[in-house]
Amino acid sequence: MSTYAPRHSPSAFSTPASTTLFRRLTWEGTVPLEIRVDPKELPANSDRGLECYYLQAPRVSYLPLLVPEIKRYLLDVVFDENAARVVKEEDWWFESEEGNLLKWHWPIGLIYDNHTISQSTRPNAMPSVFTPLRLVLHLVSPPTEKLLLSPSAEACKQAFMGQLKEADFIRWGNTKRMTGLRKAEQDGLWEGIKEHNFDEYWRVASKITPTTVPTRSNSPPPPPSSTSLHTRPPSADPGSSGGNSGPDRDSAASVRNVPVRIYLPDGPILQDLVPPVLDDGTMHTLAAFLTARLPLLFPPPDAGKPNLAYAIIQGVVAPPDAEMAWLGACMAGADGWVNVCVGLLREGMRYP
Amino acid sequence: MALPRASPEPHVRAIPSAWTHTDGGSMLHEAQEALETYKKKDSNKVVVRFKAVGNAPIMKQNFYKITASNRFQAVIQFLRKELGWKQGDPLFTYINLAFSPAPDDTVANLFKSFSTEGHLIVNYSTTAAWG
Repeated sequence: MSTYAPRHSPSAFSTPASTTLFRRLTWEGTVPLEIRVDPKELPANSDRGLECYYLQAPRVSYLPLLVPEIKRYLLDVVFDENAARVVKEEDWWFESEEGNLLKWHWPIGLIYDNHTISQSTRPNAMPSVFTPLRLVLHLVSPPTEKLLLSPSAEACKQAFMGQLKEADFIRWGNTKRMTGLRKAEQDGLWEGIKEHNFDEYWRVASKITPTTVPTRSNSPPPPPSSTSLHTRPPSADPGSSGGNSGPDRDSAASVRNVPVRIYLPDGPILQDLVPPVLDDGTMHTLAAFLTARLPLLFPPPDAGKPNLAYAIIQGVVAPPDAEMAWLGACMAGADGWVNVCVGLLREGMRYP
Repeated sequence: MALPRASPEPHVRAIPSAWTHTDGGSMLHEAQEALETYKKKDSNKVVVRFKAVGNAPIMKQNFYKITASNRFQAVIQFLRKELGWKQGDPLFTYINLAFSPAPDDTVANLFKSFSTEGHLIVNYSTTAAWG
């Protein structure tokens, strides 16, 4: 254990069981992908009819990390020896079926959810929540300007580290927790993603991610008894208070802000400072946040109008009374960010 | 984990009928109109202040007003041009001496979260500094 002796407080050792459970559920989430080589770019003598590859990809992973597996399949099954010699994976890039460029540095779960909400705006589109996301793999002429990053796993890792640091800065106003990690620990975060290894990732990530233990001195009053417990995220863990030896500064409610981005269908992406506790001392909830930021889609409760949109986080329709602090501790992606994808409701649908 | 071949036997799950409506109806129409108001581009300008780090050349003028709806990538390209950097010349950019933002993040988002005294401070370096 001494290898991983934390320099800051040992939040890893006071993480409530429910937090670990939700982190694991988030981590283990996968999405179905269908990857089809653009038929126009298929090399001569390819075994047509087989140029489609199906896989369940981890939500926390990235497209560059899937390329080796896809390449192995194409070389084994589809391409002939000639094509295998000339194909260059540096030239590969992905597009959605609708022709949207897929970014190398977006987590795969975000690409999937972003596609789901984009479909929600098409009047005649069937919601395709349960079908694979169809991707077109191009083998040549990458539009480098628009892809922004080179397709290498190394560039992806740098972008990932940048996101982690940005999230750190949002939470604490500095990046001391990230820069306090040893090189081997920082690499361990990325290795955890590459190997899809929960323990490897969280052994380090728990040093930079706040826990859900509520602050002792400043904690908000318990919710009125009318709040049904089973619909409320278990942000306060009754069992954890006894062993709460870690300082309050590592609790989810004591961060300055929660790293959150709102994704609207086909853009834009909105980033705000999202404090965990509101000025009146109550916990900031997803409902309050959405109403404050997007009042036309999520009207205030006293307006007497129904919501026109819904929010999904990690592929799950998120309960509006979820606390932002809890979402930051339990439902953030591996890069530290809570991605709230907003889709439009149609006749007959309701949120919540 | 990967399935070698297509077996398009769709996993039939009970989807609430409401979710399979193909016609969005007036509700979707209203939602689309609401959405449009949030898609309007922010034409405001914000002040970006460039600060050299290490051996990077100092700029004569280092305050610029940049349209908030621009992506950070545009800021990087602008900076490269001002410095007379050729393609392939290394340039690393950071916010607040702390992190490199995603190139597709907007100046508006970065300004809202990280501005200091009305400026978005962009540090630039010829070597990786806080990578």
